[in-house]
Amino acid sequence: MTLRDRIERRWVPRAVVALSQVDWPARVQARVRRAAGRRERVEVFFAFDDPCSAVAVLDLATRLGGRQADLVLTPVVDRGPRDDPATAAKRRYAIVDARRLARRRLGLELGRSAPLAGADTAFLAEWVAGAATNPNRFITPALRRLWLYDDAPVDRAAFAQLWREAMGVAPDPNPQGVRAAEARMRRRNGPYDTPAAVIGRRWWFAQDRPEQIVERLDELGWA
Amino acid sequence: MTRVDFFFSFRSPYSYLAAPRAFALGDRPGVEVVYRGVIPMAMRGQAVPQAKRVHTLRDTKREAVRLGMPFGRIHDPIGAGALRCLLVAQHAVDVGRERAFVLTASRAIWAEAVDVASDRGLRDVCERAGLDWAACRAALDDPAMRARVDADTEALAALDHWGVPVFVVEGELFWGQDRIEDVEHALTLARAHRS
Repeated sequence: MTLRDRIERRWVPRAVVALSQVDWPARVQARVRRAAGRRERVEVFFAFDDPCSAVAVLDLATRLGGRQADLVLTPVVDRGPRDDPATAAKRRYAIVDARRLARRRLGLELGRSAPLAGADTAFLAEWVAGAATNPNRFITPALRRLWLYDDAPVDRAAFAQLWREAMGVAPDPNPQGVRAAEARMRRRNGPYDTPAAVIGRRWWFAQDRPEQIVERLDELGWA
Repeated sequence: MTRVDFFFSFRSPYSYLAAPRAFALGDRPGVEVVYRGVIPMAMRGQAVPQAKRVHTLRDTKREAVRLGMPFGRIHDPIGAGALRCLLVAQHAVDVGRERAFVLTASRAIWAEAVDVASDRGLRDVCERAGLDWAACRAALDDPAMRARVDADTEALAALDHWGVPVFVVEGELFWGQDRIEDVEHALTLARAHRS
């Protein structure tokens, strides 16, 4: 075995695993946050065209209720590994997977049976990224309407009405911010697809690991 | 008998996490688990970004701790190591030892840093799994074994799927070591349907 082989096949993966076990900085950070009277942030990078994002956001919104942690929902449009030949197959399978998860975890039925294109829902991400106040009260009903109802095309006017009802104002006609949100996702220690939940420097695919996310808050003392 | 097709890769740490529970499904009455070993994504021309590789290792460690499985003393088998394990696994299927071999080899790769590309490493794994080394050595050069590996890899692609572990129960596909709960539910439904 060459030295290069030894480094690439053994030392690098073992170092990645070993470093992932170093947890004291996160615990110290959590203590400092608490001492300063601040709450924890669970930031979830999500996409409106992703049914697994819908399941994850609805699930976490319930699980985090009453905890000393804020659910910070950040929309992205551009997601997934670049030039991934499996993108179309992944998006078809996401519908199947989200349907099972919604049924098992939330007791809800997915109404939509075919993938949505990112372009069809990009305006929602732009509205949310450019919101002047906390947009969570729009995001949850919007995800429900997108994924739990039926296969109807995305109706911008209906979502504008929903925005007005939830936010009390009309959506910004020229919003900006999604590109910045996408850049932030890529800076946050590695999330490359949605839904990605980040606490400190640790992240999970949120539809796969809701229990682990809650356990992490417990570990850090955010009961 | 309800059949569960278990698509597995020796280069996939999530396959390693899934394997004990996947084979245990076959301990249920009326359930048969059929091992289908596939060539790793990175050897099929699918790029695996660095961010994904790093996340997979970190996440697998966390999940391994939850499952009480050892993980971290790694020797990445990509290339000859993965292929040799796939070929020996086909021989193991023929002698009814695929469960023992898959569990032993994947643990050796992901938790014991065994180099399965070397004869020394692979022989140790084969013998621990109760296989005859001479027969395993012969399987490495047997074109029939390679054809079976290629057929299983093509079968996964024909399912419109890309990664592993994958389970197929009565035409329904489940992806991920964290979806075995859904597989169990499908098996329960299949059993209820039959009785």
